Amino acid sequence: MLKIIIPTIMLIPLTWMSKPNMIWINTTTYGLLISLISLSYLNQPNDNTLNSSLMFFSDSLSAPLLALTTWLLPLMLMASQHHLSKEPLTRKKLYISMLILLQLFLIMTFTASELIFFYILFEATLIPTLIIITRWGNQTERLNAGLYFLFYTLMGSLPLLVALLYIHNFMGSLNFLMIQYWIQPLPNSWSNIFLWLACMMAFMVKMPLYGLHLWLPKAHVEAPIAGSMVLAAVLLKLGGYGMMRITTLLNPLTNFMAYPFMMLSLWGMIMTSSICLRQTDLKSLIAYSSVSHMALVIVAVLIQTPWSYMGATALMIAHGLTSSMLFCLANSNYERIHSRTMILARGLQTLLPLMAAWWLLASLTNLALPPTINLIGELFVVMSSFSWSNITIILMGINIIITALYSLYMLITTQRGKYSHHIKNIKPSFTRENALMTLHLLPLLLLSLNPKIILGPIY
Amino acid sequence: MKPPILIIIMATIMTGTMIVMLSSHWLLIWIGFEMNMLAIIPILMKKYNPRAMEASTKYFLTQATASMLLMMGVTINLLYSGQWVVSKISNPIASIMMTTALTMKLGLSPFHFWVPEVTQGITLMSGMILLTWQKIAPMSILYQISPSINTNLLMLMALTSVLVGGWGGLNQTQLRKIMAYSSIAHMGWMAAIITYNPTMMVLNLTLYILMTLSTFMLFMLNSSTTTLSLSHMWNKFPLITSMILILMLSLGGLPPLSGFIPKWMIIQELTKNNMIIIPTLMAITALLNLYFYLRLTYSTALTMFPSTNNMKMKWQFEYTKKATLLPPLIITSTMLLPLTPMLSVLD
Repeated sequence: MLKIIIPTIMLIPLTWMSKPNMIWINTTTYGLLISLISLSYLNQPNDNTLNSSLMFFSDSLSAPLLALTTWLLPLMLMASQHHLSKEPLTRKKLYISMLILLQLFLIMTFTASELIFFYILFEATLIPTLIIITRWGNQTERLNAGLYFLFYTLMGSLPLLVALLYIHNFMGSLNFLMIQYWIQPLPNSWSNIFLWLACMMAFMVKMPLYGLHLWLPKAHVEAPIAGSMVLAAVLLKLGGYGMMRITTLLNPLTNFMAYPFMMLSLWGMIMTSSICLRQTDLKSLIAYSSVSHMALVIVAVLIQTPWSYMGATALMIAHGLTSSMLFCLANSNYERIHSRTMILARGLQTLLPLMAAWWLLASLTNLALPPTINLIGELFVVMSSFSWSNITIILMGINIIITALYSLYMLITTQRGKYSHHIKNIKPSFTRENALMTLHLLPLLLLSLNPKIILGPIY
Repeated sequence: MKPPILIIIMATIMTGTMIVMLSSHWLLIWIGFEMNMLAIIPILMKKYNPRAMEASTKYFLTQATASMLLMMGVTINLLYSGQWVVSKISNPIASIMMTTALTMKLGLSPFHFWVPEVTQGITLMSGMILLTWQKIAPMSILYQISPSINTNLLMLMALTSVLVGGWGGLNQTQLRKIMAYSSIAHMGWMAAIITYNPTMMVLNLTLYILMTLSTFMLFMLNSSTTTLSLSHMWNKFPLITSMILILMLSLGGLPPLSGFIPKWMIIQELTKNNMIIIPTLMAITALLNLYFYLRLTYSTALTMFPSTNNMKMKWQFEYTKKATLLPPLIITSTMLLPLTPMLSVLD
């Protein structure tokens, strides 16, 4: 694992010591090289033997997330080039260093084998994200957004610290690979209920669960593009990843405790999808769509069947790439008209046809068109929730319809129809932007050829 | 103050604390406390304004009362055990009196009312000495009598201190009062595990002293005592604003900075002793502390204070103020977390 971590750490001296006109080129190139290394972890001999050291390990759940994280750093750097072009050099380097630091913490989080180490890095990812949102966001609401983001997450995760230390005391060790063999069933009692809640609430807030999702629209909307990308693509998946790891310790109480959260997620996904239909703010629409997709992941993780775990993993990777791509597209709009309102930039297909193609593909993957991996994820989750309870098929069906509705609404409002007459003099698409969209889309489409690498450890 | 006098007074302060820490006879400990207190009064009164006078008077009254309470406890202990040696106190009344006296010296709730007002009335340098050096002596005595302290009393004081420190600091814009409430909250954390694992108290005290020293030195570089003056720092010392950002987050106890180490260790020790609700409550209340530190960093480092075009870009001269040992202090206050496994040498 050091072969990824040390190069990532060394990216920071690279940014600070590069020549001023080379900082973006250097960091993007070396970031892409690092992501190439992480792809080697996708080759998983399926007997859990990929233990790199005492502190790091990788298995079929963390390897795709690791690849996603390392793939995203060069993309974030490419996306940030435009809005940082007017800043002084030191601030550019600071921004890039924050992104690299965040990447470093995320890599270590996804490969941590001890749960307290995982917790420390889980919390550590908050600091660079907070700095990126609050320092480089664009509106005054970003202060509130940073506050909501930090405090919602911390309120959930402090009980997690206490619960982990209690489990450490109880079991003797928190090394994830060893705990798998020492688990005892968790009976149903009040103190165990609180233990379950303490363990899970941190990840529920992070996902986010429907009732605790207030931080997400604020944070996603106010963050600059790289912040939105990393938030939507990776930080939400931290919650899913953590939930999948920690539910191994919490059986069979999960069957009892899962009901309220299942209700919240099932209802919440329909609610947030419906809100998307009424949004005027483009980034806010994509943010609420993230809540909706993540609610599916919560449902899948709480059901705990093999198919649902496969669906959850696939959905996390697929949603990461799709959501990040949608934010990049929204940002390309924002950079031209400096407003996030959808109806101000209509009919873009006439003016930027290639970008319209990317919009189309992004919306199609967002609504889970076959044969993309989005569909595989959603379909597996729908099927497993049907087997859990027959009635959920109604809610899932409604959700799929409403997801299709708002994705197409977003597509049609921004791309089709007559263009608004004041956008005739926007700049044409940069090659950088087209490259960015391609780099998002290619993994998404290629993975539909071989989805087994993202289907997780149960496959 | 003339240098020879300052040296004598500083030496007396240090000697007083040393005497407290090194002696085994209760009378000498009282002598040390009194020396310390009497010598620090002129330091508190460096500026001749009524606020400083009031602050020194309040400080003197509380500390003298606490010393007298301590002597009362010592005498009761003498009555019941027949000896003056500092060791386990067998009589519960004496133990409670001593605990009350020492917590009064530290500024733990419910005896915390003097801390913000005294800290506010004095200069930044004196405030620094007050909040760091003065905590060492009472803590060392608490460490020595820790087997016999009444856990319920101290845990109650600790919980209320963390609550008071969190809530009290929310409405403040004066930096010295913010640091005073921060001190109350951190003392609360320390008091909570004295009875369970006193070594963690020493760890917390050390890290707290390092962080508070760094914070005060950064404030003194700019001579800023209000949030407003701190918010102008982006123009004069841009590097210091990032330092304040990291330091404030460390004081708030965010991983992966070293402010997280004491909280983590304290919660670990408390859960080992089967207390689950109290560490959870303390940890969540520490978020209140984090809120006002975060507000400071917002106005200092993360936003640019509204300023006219004339104020932008002052000449950035080199520092002329002495910032003794500032780089090592900042590094130890923020980057010590990876060394936490070294704590296993204590076993």
